[in-house]
Amino acid sequence: MKLNRLLAIMGLVCLLHSNPIYAQDQFTVSGYLRDSSNGEALIGATIRITGESIGTVTNVYGFYSITLSKGNYVLDYRYVGYDAFTQSVELNSNTRLDIELKPSEQQLEAVVISGKAADDNISNIEMSTAELDIKSIQKMPAFAGEVDVIKSIQLLPGVTTVGEGAAGFNVRGGSVGQNLVLLDEAPVYQSSHLMGFFSVFNPDAVKDVKLYKGGVPAQYGGRVSSILDIRMKEGNSKSYDVSGGIGTVFSRLAIEGPIKKDKASFIVAARRSYADVIAKVFTDALSDGTAMYFYDLTAKTNYHINENNRIYLSGYWGRDVLEFDENQGFDWGNRTASFRWNHLYSDKLFSNLTMFYSNYDYGFKFGDKDDLFQIGSEVSTVNMKPEFNWFLNTNNELTFGGEAIMYLFEPGTMINKSVGETTNSSLESRRALEAAIYASNNQKVTEQLSLQYGLRLSYFNYLGGTVFEYGDTIPGNTKPIVDEYQYKKWGSIADFYNLEPRLSFNYKMSTTASLKGSFTRMNQYIHLISNTTASTPIDVWQPSTNNIDPQAADQVALGYFKNLSSNEFELSAEAYYKWMHDQVDYIDGADVFVNQYLESQLLSGKGRAYGLELYGKKNQGRLTGWMSYTLGWTELKVDGINYGGDKVNRIGDWYPTRYDQRHNVKLAAFYELNDKVSFSANFSYISGTPTTFPTDRLNVAGYVVPYINNNERNNYRIPDYHRLDLGMSINNVWRGKKGRSGEDNIAISVYNAYGRQNPFSIYFSQERGRIPVGSPVETNATQLSIIGSVIPAIAYNFKF
Amino acid sequence: MLASCEFEIQPKLDTPEELMVVDAFLTDQLGRQEVKITRSQPYFESSKPELITGLSVTLEDLTADVSYALIEGSDSYYLDVSEPIGFVGHEYRLVVETPDETFEAIAKMNRVPGIDSVGYEFNEANFLVDQDHFTAQFYSIDPEGTGDCYWIKAWKNGNYFGKPEELNMAYDASVSPGQPIDGQLFVFPVRAGFINPYTSDDPEISESQPPYVVGDSLYVEIHSIDRAANDFLYALYFQINRMGGFGEIFSSPLSNVSTNIMSTDPGSKTNVAGFFNMSAVSASGRRLTSTVAEQAKTKYYE
Repeated sequence: MKLNRLLAIMGLVCLLHSNPIYAQDQFTVSGYLRDSSNGEALIGATIRITGESIGTVTNVYGFYSITLSKGNYVLDYRYVGYDAFTQSVELNSNTRLDIELKPSEQQLEAVVISGKAADDNISNIEMSTAELDIKSIQKMPAFAGEVDVIKSIQLLPGVTTVGEGAAGFNVRGGSVGQNLVLLDEAPVYQSSHLMGFFSVFNPDAVKDVKLYKGGVPAQYGGRVSSILDIRMKEGNSKSYDVSGGIGTVFSRLAIEGPIKKDKASFIVAARRSYADVIAKVFTDALSDGTAMYFYDLTAKTNYHINENNRIYLSGYWGRDVLEFDENQGFDWGNRTASFRWNHLYSDKLFSNLTMFYSNYDYGFKFGDKDDLFQIGSEVSTVNMKPEFNWFLNTNNELTFGGEAIMYLFEPGTMINKSVGETTNSSLESRRALEAAIYASNNQKVTEQLSLQYGLRLSYFNYLGGTVFEYGDTIPGNTKPIVDEYQYKKWGSIADFYNLEPRLSFNYKMSTTASLKGSFTRMNQYIHLISNTTASTPIDVWQPSTNNIDPQAADQVALGYFKNLSSNEFELSAEAYYKWMHDQVDYIDGADVFVNQYLESQLLSGKGRAYGLELYGKKNQGRLTGWMSYTLGWTELKVDGINYGGDKVNRIGDWYPTRYDQRHNVKLAAFYELNDKVSFSANFSYISGTPTTFPTDRLNVAGYVVPYINNNERNNYRIPDYHRLDLGMSINNVWRGKKGRSGEDNIAISVYNAYGRQNPFSIYFSQERGRIPVGSPVETNATQLSIIGSVIPAIAYNFKF
Repeated sequence: MLASCEFEIQPKLDTPEELMVVDAFLTDQLGRQEVKITRSQPYFESSKPELITGLSVTLEDLTADVSYALIEGSDSYYLDVSEPIGFVGHEYRLVVETPDETFEAIAKMNRVPGIDSVGYEFNEANFLVDQDHFTAQFYSIDPEGTGDCYWIKAWKNGNYFGKPEELNMAYDASVSPGQPIDGQLFVFPVRAGFINPYTSDDPEISESQPPYVVGDSLYVEIHSIDRAANDFLYALYFQINRMGGFGEIFSSPLSNVSTNIMSTDPGSKTNVAGFFNMSAVSASGRRLTSTVAEQAKTKYYE
């Protein structure tokens, strides 16, 4: 707490110290930066004052504001991949300058990897972030030829996955449930289609993807590991575009265009799978003819009311359906809707109000017309989030705002029909309120030093209903229930407050090198309950309660950033250490499915993750791409797990998590042969993930049961994972020729090019088949590969 | 194209503990009641474990204050029961004395509902089986009052449903303690989910099979178990039930199942494994005769 107070006071002092100088005549030049071809806002574009070391970058809505003394200036607007634009201004009053930049013609020389200024990585305060624009995502060779946002970020340092088919991703030793995935600011609770093979984001509707692994600004919170901020396109406000593609898994179609030119536009993008291709994954479990499909629909519209007001409405609807017949099946999906209102209170004060709804649910059904057993789970949130950017002066940009989230959890719905008679045995719904207020300042202290310091006060209130109280027991056993009583509906059963200080610095050592550091504290009030080898769609979200404390993580990171040959090469090295508290784990045999006493089977422990990330990127030329290496450790210490011979107290010893991957090498390369043909390649090498090997087998209750000497957890590792993917794109195959408008390409990709059978897991089981009672039983170890072969794919994409 | 693949491996494992395992699931039935006491084996050892001999094994009815000394046989310690020794509501203790140490476990025999009937249903060809076929269910009502736990065992044509994935348990009328369904017919998954084998016992046959054809029989037993045994079997289910293939994504981490066998010396460092439970048993069975089959068809077409 002392540290919190100290930081708060420091922040205040810095702010007061840097109060704008009102004595002089100061005027503001502000406006929006957009793409001249389609009107899309340009996020993170730079505006520099020529001849002075003053500048700013556009925010996520493309807005910028610079306050200067009276005088004549030349403003230089830049965004990589676009022609630079200069504008002279005689500043004697506040000036609005909305600028449109033209996409560069010289595609070959363009930086393909990200937008931004060429030296953004040096000058920007941010560290531990990774950005990918949709153009680079589209260039990567993809699994089954389907461009995928989540799979692409897994090529960045510090980001991993436990294997093919696993949903979600792991960031710097965090679990899948510790990532906040935002689509136009609305959280997406389950980011995968078909378990984890594809992510739910339609690339045709995505504009920008940014991942915060550390150094998280104060406006973000609610998860302890990372924030993945995905922004959707606004829709072309100049002309109508139809784009789409036919791939091996999805067929896609997106339509965008102006509703009223330069005033209002829309985009609607849809995808649907071809089920039968993928159904073969399930050859073991399912019979032929299984109905299985998934789809998503993404839509957005915006209306430019006037110079100072713009509203956006966006929505997502996606679903996976796996139905055997009308009474048997499994389905899941997300729904989100966001409303946003950008308002300029003045040239210096930009505001955005977001309101959203987000829902995730899944359901199973099993039976026939007379006997049916249906179970499911659901989480819904309604959120309001006002945010203000106050461009105080050239040295300070203040961000402040708040957030209020109402949660409704349906931990388990259960409808049971027996011999025609239906009973509803659903678990009671749970409600909770999460709120936060925050303030953060980006301050340029000197030419060399900039700071970002902020404070977030977060609050969580678990609201009325049935209260369960549990007694103590030996760690690892189900806790006994000692009391169960009703609490008034909107009463507070448990509440939590936390101060989350955030601090980052950037010390610019030269124009090509900088040293950055950050401290981030994050709290997480809702927990993804997942006790399986990999995260799956049936994982449920659970609030913090009187029995589950909020999770917390403190992270420090230090990085050195260096650019070479006029920003052609970017190099960086970052080291991080993360302390995690109140991490959720599970007793053996925990029933996490539909269980009103779930909390009696949860364990709480601490975690630590640390590592080093090295990154090198080539930005220009025909050959571009990056290489990264991550050395990482991530461990948990939970009483009741990995407790060795300590039968009485079961004090747990540190053990590596399932996603502890020591070495992680990633390579992405893009080569533009000519205007027509380009190549791409990805390579991944990841240390084998930890797993538990038994030592003994027990004969009990008629079964052969594995036993682990010394109660160890994750005492072995499966073999290393490595994979090469190759891609080739041929542009303008049909369109763009003989006077046909538009563009198209054929994308050919080969996933797992050398056909390695990468292990997903090694499991131990007794022999299959029916063994007569009393006969000896064989026990085996089996290595499983989810994908065991080369997967070629071809897709045709078009736009006109 | 995307088929997952699996192959058997022979990894080197850490040193086995070879600890004592007490397998003592006893019932209220007459006849031979057996306690198997063996040593755990190295994981890849597939022989039948041998009985640890020379132990003293005693079953005590704590409620009635009676005790029974078990006789050492060739592969178990046993009692040949001719007069009932198990009574619902009684508490029992199993005592195992080794030369160095004494171990004991306590269990309570709980009530068990009767089985009203075993029935067959007629189904037209569906996504599971590409021909008309019969499936079976048993009908039994969980008595009112929460906390009843059951282990349901079944035999088709005298062959025990003993595959890991066929371990069938009920907590009250549903599957687990967290699912509050009490005092009614067992839910459909319990009644039908584990006794309809669609896979052939012949590994050469991969197509789904009709679970029952005319001439087959089904015999079902409900064993009452206590809460500790329920938790033990529930955890055991996750340890032994490895579906393989894509289902591995849903598997939980490997860990040791619990035990209720404790040393009488609280400071003992000796590890033992296994479980002691006393079950009351109810049973019923029926053969799918052509008459039963015709009745099921008639009912279906009604």
